[in-house]
Amino acid sequence: MNKLCKISVLAFLSVCFFLENASSKTFDLHEFTLENGLKVIVAPNHKAPIIKHIVWYKVGSIDENLGKSGKAHLLEHLMFRGTKTVKDSEFTRIIDENGGDSNAFTSLDFTAYHQTLDITRLEVAMFLEADRMENLNFSHESFEKERDIVFQERKQVVENNPMGGFNERYRSILWSNHPYGRPVIGSDEEIMGFSYQDVMSFYNSFYSPKNAILVLSGDITKEEAEILAKKYYGKVKTRDISDRPNPPVMDGGFSGVIEVSLPDIASPRIIKDYIAPSYNTDKEKIYALMVLSKILGEDETSKLYKDLVVAKKAALSVSSSYNAFARSYGSFSFSVYPKLDLNINKTLQQFELSLKKSLSEITEKDVELAKKKMLSGLVYIRDNPGDAAYIVGIMAAIGMTADEITNYDDSIKNVSFEDVKKAADFLFGSGQNVTAVITPLQGEINE
Amino acid sequence: MSKLLKIGYLLFLLLLLFMAVEAYKYRGNVSFDPEEIVKKSILKDKTFETNVVEIVSENGIKAYLFEDHTIPIISIDFLFKNSGISYDEAGYEGIGNMVSALLTEGAGDLDNDKLKEELELYAIGISFGVDFDDFKGSLLTLSENKEKAYNLLNLALTKPRFDDENAALAKQRMNFALRMQSERPDSVLGLEFAKNIYGRHPYSRNPVGQKQAIAKITRKDMQNYIKENLTTDKLVVGISGDITPDEAGKVLDKIFQGLKKEGLNKEISAADIVFDGRDVEIKRKSAQNIAIFANRALERTDTDFYPLYVVNYIFGEAGLGSRLSLKAREEEGLTYGIYTSIVNRQKSDMLRGRFSATPENYYRVIEIVKNEWKNMGSKGITEAELKSAKDYLIASYNLRFASIDNISSMLTYMQRYNLGIDFLQKRNEYVRNITLEQANGAAEKYFNDDNLIFISIGNFNREISGENDNGK
Repeated sequence: MNKLCKISVLAFLSVCFFLENASSKTFDLHEFTLENGLKVIVAPNHKAPIIKHIVWYKVGSIDENLGKSGKAHLLEHLMFRGTKTVKDSEFTRIIDENGGDSNAFTSLDFTAYHQTLDITRLEVAMFLEADRMENLNFSHESFEKERDIVFQERKQVVENNPMGGFNERYRSILWSNHPYGRPVIGSDEEIMGFSYQDVMSFYNSFYSPKNAILVLSGDITKEEAEILAKKYYGKVKTRDISDRPNPPVMDGGFSGVIEVSLPDIASPRIIKDYIAPSYNTDKEKIYALMVLSKILGEDETSKLYKDLVVAKKAALSVSSSYNAFARSYGSFSFSVYPKLDLNINKTLQQFELSLKKSLSEITEKDVELAKKKMLSGLVYIRDNPGDAAYIVGIMAAIGMTADEITNYDDSIKNVSFEDVKKAADFLFGSGQNVTAVITPLQGEINE
Repeated sequence: MSKLLKIGYLLFLLLLLFMAVEAYKYRGNVSFDPEEIVKKSILKDKTFETNVVEIVSENGIKAYLFEDHTIPIISIDFLFKNSGISYDEAGYEGIGNMVSALLTEGAGDLDNDKLKEELELYAIGISFGVDFDDFKGSLLTLSENKEKAYNLLNLALTKPRFDDENAALAKQRMNFALRMQSERPDSVLGLEFAKNIYGRHPYSRNPVGQKQAIAKITRKDMQNYIKENLTTDKLVVGISGDITPDEAGKVLDKIFQGLKKEGLNKEISAADIVFDGRDVEIKRKSAQNIAIFANRALERTDTDFYPLYVVNYIFGEAGLGSRLSLKAREEEGLTYGIYTSIVNRQKSDMLRGRFSATPENYYRVIEIVKNEWKNMGSKGITEAELKSAKDYLIASYNLRFASIDNISSMLTYMQRYNLGIDFLQKRNEYVRNITLEQANGAAEKYFNDDNLIFISIGNFNREISGENDNGK
C-alpha cells in the first residue's frame, strides 16, 4: 500500500525533503574521514536495534568507455564471488546466517553495497565489506557464470518489458554522446564481450577507500561508529584512482519530438525530458527547480494536473519529476497518459499549452505553499533507517557534504518566487529536450 | 662442533619454533571467524522490548497496539474482513477497487482538490485498497497533525462524495489498468496462472475488475457497498507509534464513528486447487520465458507451518543462498533469479515459485526445479542446513521493526491470521523448536509427489533448448 512518502527513493527525493520546522533538523548527521580517505557518515536512529550499512563507490556507468557499457554493473555482481579471505559465495552465506538482508545496485553515477542487519551483527558485515574493498579475487569460472547471469538479467529487466528497449533508445537520443545516454547494464554484445581482466582492472582503478563513502544509519552512536569504522575499514590500503575524463558539455544538441509505434504497447503515452542543472553543474538553481517541479506536476494539486486532467479532461494522469543528484547533468521529466479515446497528437498539443499556461500563472503564493508541502512530511524520513541511509548516501555520493545535506531544508525555505521564475525561464527557454510520442503498433493491441 | 655452537644452534631452532608458533597465532588473528566477531562485538548487548497490547474502545472496537514514542508519528492499519475482490457481487466485479480509489477523492464539504490540499499540506497519508480477501485502509500522520488526520479519515470513510467527475475518471483509469495488463508477459502470466489454478473460484478474478461491470457501477451501488462492507463487525485494526493505550481507545471511536455496526455476511468456499503435475505453456513472443510453479501448502496456523516454512526457506526462499538459486543461478548461470514462497490467503494456501530464463535455458531450469523438488522430498534437509536457516530467521527477526507503518500492518495481519497477541514474543521460539524430524516430515509430505504444476509464458521450442550457450 502506498503511504505518503513511502514510495521509491528517487520519487521520495523529489517530493519531500527534510525538516519540519526551523528548530529541529531531520538528521543528526556525523561525518568524519579515515586516514585512508574513506568518508564515513553516521545517522543515528535508536528506534529499534537494527542498522543499514551501505558502502557507496563513486563509480558508475558514467565512468565507462564507449563500447564498454555495463562494466561497473558486472563488477557489482562479481563482488559477491569471493575474496582472498572469504572464498566463492561465502559472503552471501555468512550474511544470511547473521540474519542480514543484502544486495547491491549500480547507477549512472555510483555503485552501492548494502545490508540491513540486527545491530549485534553489524561488525560481521563491516569485516566482509572492508575485505572486499581491497581483496576481490573471483575465479575465472565464476566470472563466466556471472556474465551469463547478467545477460539473463538484461533479458528479464530490459527486454521482457516492451518499453525497456525503447527507453534505451530514447535516452541515447536525449543524451547523444554523453555517457548518460548508454545503458547501465550494457548491451548483449558488451556484456558477453568483457574479459576477466577488463573487470579486474576496473576494480583496481576505482575501488579504493578514498573513492568510497560508508553510511551507517540506525542504532549506533557516533563514538561506536568511529571505533568500528577504524577497526575494520581503517586497515584497508588506499589506492590511487584512475583519471576520468569530464563528460561532454551539453549545449545546443538535438531537441525535438520523436513519434514511435511499438509492438506490445497496450496504451499510448508521452514522455518529455529536459537536460537540467544538477548539484554539480549549476548548484544555484537546483532548489528552485525542486519547488518548480512540485508546483507543476507532483501530486493532484499541481497546476498541470488541475489543467490537463481536471479542467481539459485530456489525460488520465500527468506528472513531473526533477533529479538534481547527479555527478553530471540533472534531468527534469514529464510523463502523460492520454485518455484512451483521444488523438495523441492533440493530447501533446494540450500538454504543451498546459505547460505554458502553468508556467505563466505561477504566483508567489504557489511558491510558498509548495515549499510548505515539501517540508511538512520530512519527519517521516527519521522513521525507517533504510530511507535515511539511501537519501543521505545518494547525496553524499554525488558530492554533497554532510552540512549541505543537513541544511537542505533551509535551502528549500530560502527559494524565492524570483528564483523559481528564473530557473523556469532558464530551463524552458534554452534547455535541451526530447519528447517521445509513443503509440501501439497497429493491430498489436489484444484486449 | 663445540658445545657452545651446539647450544647456539639449539637456541636458534627454538627461536624458529617460537616464531612459527607466533606467526601461526598471528594468522589466527587475521583469519575470519564471524561467530567470534559477534561474541566480542561492542554492540552485542543492544536489544529492545516488543510489547503488544489489546485495547477495546468504549464503543467496543478492538485493536492491537505497539507503543513507540521515539519519533512523533502514528500509523494505523485496518481492514474489513471478507470485503475484498473475491466478495464483489457478481456483475459488480471491481466495485471494491473503485470505492477504494474514490474514498480519498472528496469527502463531506471537501471536493477532491480541497481534500488533497489538506492531506499534502499536513503530510497526512490516507490510502485504501483491496486484496482478494479484504478491503484495507491505512493512515500515517505526524503527532502534531493527528486530530486533523483522524477527522479526515472519518470523513473519508463515512461521507465519501463519489462526485460524477471523479467516478468517471476512476472508471477510465480502471479500463486503462486492464489494458496495461497485456503489456508485459509477467502480468499476462499472473492473470493466466490465477485463471488456471482457481478455475471458477473468485480468486481467479482479475484484480482490477471486469470491464462491463465497471461501466455500470453507480454512486448508489458504491454507497450500498459501504453499508454492506465497511462495518465495525468486520473491522480489524493495528496501531503503532506515538500514542498511548488510553488515547488509542478514544481514537478508534473517533475514526470509525458513523460506520454501521453490522454488515452483510458474505462467505466464499475454500479454493479447491487441483495439483496434478500439469504443464501449461502460453505462447507469446518475448525475450525470456517466465514460469510459475506451484504445489499445495498448509494454513498459517497449522502445527506444521514452521517446519515447512524452514524447508521452503532452504529450498527457494533464501535469496542467492537457496538450493534452487545455487544450482540454477550460481552454478550454471541460467537465470537472474529463482525463488519460492508460501502464499497464504484465507481460502487457499500454496507453495509457489517463479523464474525467468531465455528459451535456450528454460528446460534446463525446469529440470533443476523438478530434480531439486524430488530430492527435497526424498532426502530432506541436513542438520547443518537447518541450523543455518534458523540462524537467519532468528537473527533477522528485528528487521521487521524498521518502520512504524510496517509494524501496524503486522499487527493487523496477526489478528487476521489468528497468530495470537504474544506472537512477537513467541515467534523465535517457534523457529528454535523446529526439529530435523519435523522439518523432514514436512519435506516428505509437501515435496514428495509428482503434483507440482508449471504455468509458463514465452517461446517454447524443445529443440533449441540447450543447443547453444545462452544464444550468444
